[in-house]
Amino acid sequence: MKRTGLPYTASKKSLGRRLKNNYIGWLFILIAAAGISLFYFYPMIRALLLSFQSGMGANLQYVGLENYIRLFSDPTFITALTNTFIYLLVQVPIMIVLALFFSVLLNDATLKFKGFFRTAIFLPCVTSLVAYAVIFKYLFGVDGLINKFLMDLSIISEPLNWLSDPFLAKITIIAAITWRWTGYNMIFYLSALQNVDRSMYEAAKIDGASSFQQFFYITVPMLKPIILFTSIISTIGTLQLFDEVMNITNGGPGNATLSISMYIYNLSFEYSPDFGYAATVSYVIVILVVLLSLLQFKVAGDDK
Amino acid sequence: MKFLHWKKTGLFLLTVVALLALAACSSDDASGSSDTGEEPDKITAWAWDPNFNIAALELAKDAYEEDLDLEIIENAQDDIVQKLNTGLSSGSMKGMPNIVLIEDQRAQSFLQSYPDAFYPIGDYFNTDDFAPYKLAPTSLDGKQYGLPFDTGVTGLFFRTDYLEEAGYTKEDLTDITWEEYIEIGKDVKAKTGKDMISLDPNDLGILRVMIQSAGSWYVEDDGKTVNLVDNEPLKKAFENYKAMIEADFVKANSDWSQFIAAFNSGDVATVPSGNWIAPSIEAEASQAGKWEVAPIPRLDLDGAVNASNQGGSSFYVLNIPGKEKAAEFLGATFGSNEAFYQDLVLDVGALGTYAPAADGEAYQAENDYFSGQSVIADFSEWTEEIPSVNYGLHTYAIEDILAAEMQNYLKGKDLEAVLADAQAQAESQLK
Repeated sequence: MKRTGLPYTASKKSLGRRLKNNYIGWLFILIAAAGISLFYFYPMIRALLLSFQSGMGANLQYVGLENYIRLFSDPTFITALTNTFIYLLVQVPIMIVLALFFSVLLNDATLKFKGFFRTAIFLPCVTSLVAYAVIFKYLFGVDGLINKFLMDLSIISEPLNWLSDPFLAKITIIAAITWRWTGYNMIFYLSALQNVDRSMYEAAKIDGASSFQQFFYITVPMLKPIILFTSIISTIGTLQLFDEVMNITNGGPGNATLSISMYIYNLSFEYSPDFGYAATVSYVIVILVVLLSLLQFKVAGDDK
Repeated sequence: MKFLHWKKTGLFLLTVVALLALAACSSDDASGSSDTGEEPDKITAWAWDPNFNIAALELAKDAYEEDLDLEIIENAQDDIVQKLNTGLSSGSMKGMPNIVLIEDQRAQSFLQSYPDAFYPIGDYFNTDDFAPYKLAPTSLDGKQYGLPFDTGVTGLFFRTDYLEEAGYTKEDLTDITWEEYIEIGKDVKAKTGKDMISLDPNDLGILRVMIQSAGSWYVEDDGKTVNLVDNEPLKKAFENYKAMIEADFVKANSDWSQFIAAFNSGDVATVPSGNWIAPSIEAEASQAGKWEVAPIPRLDLDGAVNASNQGGSSFYVLNIPGKEKAAEFLGATFGSNEAFYQDLVLDVGALGTYAPAADGEAYQAENDYFSGQSVIADFSEWTEEIPSVNYGLHTYAIEDILAAEMQNYLKGKDLEAVLADAQAQAESQLK
């Protein structure tokens, strides 16, 4: 009670200093916030507004929800959506399992030339998207190496039309994305595996657990958060799939490999440009990413 | 708590301010830049295909007597389309070229999508000098925006040696129908083992060639009404396409370079294509003297002619500083210079649609690569027969729908249903 004056002056002083400090803090926040608003939020809002407009090129008019209604009766969009989900459901699980498999192999303490193998598997995802897509296109061409190889092994008798058969073209795209992104996911698992205590495996071994049991009862549960993370990243990546489809099959034959992103490109640049509807389709990707990520968190996520 | 509240409000205000500032910037750009600005020293031109369009522009630059600093920039056609669309729709004309080459089938979509972006150049040349089928797609509302260039006239390029081996002469290929072509193709395949044609299942350009020869298109004459389901020429074209696939003489390709390789390597016997393919055929020197050109096959319908158009293109001037200079340049070269056109056909093999040039000597010149045939004279003769059609705005959108339905048709779906479904889809998609 008797020292009431002292805290008062002290707090006054510190309030002034706090404000001064805060100004500097605010300055830092301001710059970052301005940058983010400028380059993220502003385009996002503009795109949202654009998605309620329609018309050719620069002649845009507000049409309300018409674009969103049009989505449901647009067979090309539905084909693109179906194709993208086929990629998602087939490719992501294959890739995650492969990446897990490779990471466990390459984490083996007795393995020699570990660095070399790790680099070799990681390398595809730092190559240029376009360059690798073009190479895949030639590999899978009618006169390409894949056909030659399969024919030499007498697996097939006639060259397969990898790129112009609707089913095989999808396989080609899936092979291409798997080749490219498996190493990327593997790196996440490898780094996570470094944090798994070796003594757990030793204890398991002493208890008589087989390699399989060690994998399923130790490795997989320990990597669960990382598996969740990579599957979300891969889902987002697949929903945005563009380069491979554009460069290998150009969406064909007859829209058989068309992805949503490729459809957005077509709507903007191939057909008479309708940027409004293209923006609507883009927002579908945003909505799907949010929904699928939430779903994955619910299914596989921790409770925290 | 209060402080936190402040923080939020501050951030919100900041965002709003940033947005307003940006919105202000962007609208300034849109209104300000198209007509102001100084005359540039340099005129830029965008085009594709170094053997053909770029070479033609280079030649025009040399033929132009005025002092003009012209920079010719090579871009793939897709890139040009993309850059024009992004640039023009942003409202800012910065970085746009003065002169740009646009494919005829796409022209209307640009002219109508970006009303003030192009500069009418009808005063710089006489439109009567050009083929009528080129004027419709290059003009809008009575104003001439494009200077017609590449005719896109088609011909049936064929390997004389392969055809001879199978027992056919040029007469057998002249003025035939696609049905007859398919029969010859089966024979050639049986006797020589060579494929007759190379096709990209993703590119239905050959359908366009077929239907235009009968004066038909994917849309009716108004350029808007979708015309697929009761389109007799299109039906025939679909049947021919399927017959070719089933005759097993199609070498599939999936892009331009594979397409070129298909005939440069000697794997296919014929190339039915626009005349712009000639320089690419001639690029393979070892096959000199082994090629000739016959008129393109026609559809087996009354009124169909052995002449069509594939991928013709024209020059456009953008409505930005330097437009007068650019238009004068085009008018003085591609628009009126007969002597230049003579050089153009001799040096580049590029055939423009400028009618007075056809009387020149160079048009009669014999081409040794094509077995001494007066290729240019033949092409310009066929050019006059090409039926004029209104391409409208949606060639590529409709073609993607057709490509998907073509897959169904090849798998056995009934043709009537195929076209009816395509019609329904196109109608719902294109309003």
